[in-house]
Amino acid sequence: MNMLTIKNLKKSFGSKEVLCGLNLSIPKNSIFGFVGKNGAGKTTTMKIILGLIKADSGTLYVMDKEVVFGQPNINRYIGYLPDVPEFYPYMTAKEYLKFCGEISGMDKKDVSARSNELLELVGLANEHSRIKGFSRGMKQRLGIAQALLNRPKLLICDEPTSALDPIGRKEILDILVTLKKQTTVLFSTHILSDVERICTDVAFLNNGKIAIQGTVTELQNKRDSNEFIIETERKEDLNNLIGAFNNLNLTDKNSLIFNGTEHEFFSFINYIADKKISVQKIERIEPTLESLFIEVTT
Amino acid sequence: MKTLFAFTKKEFFEVRRTGKLLIIMLLFLIFGIMNPATAKIMPVIMDMLAESMTESGVVIKDIEVNAMTSWAQFFKNISTILIIFILLFSDVFTKEYKTGTLQLVLTKGLARHKVVIAKTLSILSFWTIGYIFSFSVTYGYNEYFWDNSIMNNLFSSVVLWWLFGVCVISLIIFFSSFLQNNIAVLLSTGGVIILMYLLNVISKLKPYIPVKLININPLLASTEEIDAYTKAIIVTIIFSIVCIASSIPILNKRQF
Ligand SMILES: Nc1ncnc2c1ncn2[C@@H]1O[C@H](COP(=O)(O)OP(=O)(O)O)[C@@H](O)[C@H]1O
Ligand SMILES: [Mg+2]
Repeated sequence: MNMLTIKNLKKSFGSKEVLCGLNLSIPKNSIFGFVGKNGAGKTTTMKIILGLIKADSGTLYVMDKEVVFGQPNINRYIGYLPDVPEFYPYMTAKEYLKFCGEISGMDKKDVSARSNELLELVGLANEHSRIKGFSRGMKQRLGIAQALLNRPKLLICDEPTSALDPIGRKEILDILVTLKKQTTVLFSTHILSDVERICTDVAFLNNGKIAIQGTVTELQNKRDSNEFIIETERKEDLNNLIGAFNNLNLTDKNSLIFNGTEHEFFSFINYIADKKISVQKIERIEPTLESLFIEVTT
Repeated sequence: MKTLFAFTKKEFFEVRRTGKLLIIMLLFLIFGIMNPATAKIMPVIMDMLAESMTESGVVIKDIEVNAMTSWAQFFKNISTILIIFILLFSDVFTKEYKTGTLQLVLTKGLARHKVVIAKTLSILSFWTIGYIFSFSVTYGYNEYFWDNSIMNNLFSSVVLWWLFGVCVISLIIFFSSFLQNNIAVLLSTGGVIILMYLLNVISKLKPYIPVKLININPLLASTEEIDAYTKAIIVTIIFSIVCIASSIPILNKRQF
């Protein structure tokens, strides 16, 4: 069953068509990476899901309930972490969570217990100062706490790691992983290593459409890579090999990239054995999402 | 209802925490004290002026100071106070749009009309509380020094001015529902008030225009009675309600 289904979504700003027929379905309990270049329309898509901006056409369902612009009926199932989360600066983290609990109609006791639990989770339990003085990373962590407060079925995070240093990024990713059992996570990013690290599913947004969607392992295996990297002891052997095979490319680091069928590769190995070329390294190049992403978006 | 209360509570908390409450209370207090104080000081100044004036041959008679002098100050200065109040509260919507704080609140399922209602309630409350505070201070001093009972239509005049304030606030709310920054909100509100003054020169319209409410001299002088203001009162009330009510569907269409 799908947590979120988007059908033929379209949205233009003025004459600029940002989304032109986007289809997307997010399986329940997945950690879904929503990947696209800057300006691809990731934030726009998320804001439409949240009912903050109005789609020109298309339909969206969250837990089989239709999303209607400006109507907050499905919002209670969703938690949202915006790309630049901003809170009332005069409140403390605890006061802000209490306020969030009140406006989402939660039970008072529950809010208090849940706030403590979440502040503990994001490492803000001992932070009693006002939000005014919070760093970017602290705001991001409070952002996660407020998004999770009402135990959402769907958590939408807009580039939660993009503005953070490697340690901050790791902290956020670690938190997202722990949520897997409780909620479905949709998170946008342009950092593919983050996706490979935590996501179960991924979709690439390009030119206003989903260019490709699938589970991470599916997509990683999609590129049946027969690329190998070869390094030889002696430099002159490299030229020798290039002269003999036309599916070899020289890289800038004095190594060769072989790209061909399995059969071609075996004759390549034979050639090396015949000529007694001393090899330092032969290694299969692991297919990465990055190479796939570059392939489908260029 | 509970969520409306929660958001309203936040509005009041914000005004308190950010120090705005202190500022407006001081503002209304100083204003309340200034009216009788000016009236008290006036003879002293006049005496000083008179001395130098007599030398140049002009004679000023002793002016009589009473509650009327102080109330005249009240109605003269209240426009400045209203302007400062509006300046302070003109960004209650726009600041939330700009920083994105409201966006997050809306994603938690708070219905948009509750935002309008909560903010309206809070601004109106602060205007009303501050206004009553100022009035009480001036009234108290006036009672102590002089005698308030010489005033005609004092309470009606005070209520009329308050109602005009409500009207200006409703314009702020209306323009905040679709404009992006508070300068634009202030300019548009100012524009509407100027337009009211322009329409006011057409004598047929005069009794209906909200600015009639702050033209209270005839009322204080008893050359006019409160029924001369009835039309303007009704128009102002309807106008204010329409402004506030129509900002709800406008905000509902707003994209965040
Ligand atoms: N309110 C808006 N008005 C006009 N253009 C907008 C607006 N919001 C976004 N855009 C444009 O839509 C495109 C997609 O933006 P966005 O969804 O923020 O991309 P992403 O989040 O993938 O970086 C961008 O080119 C951006 O300039
Ligand atoms: Mg974005």
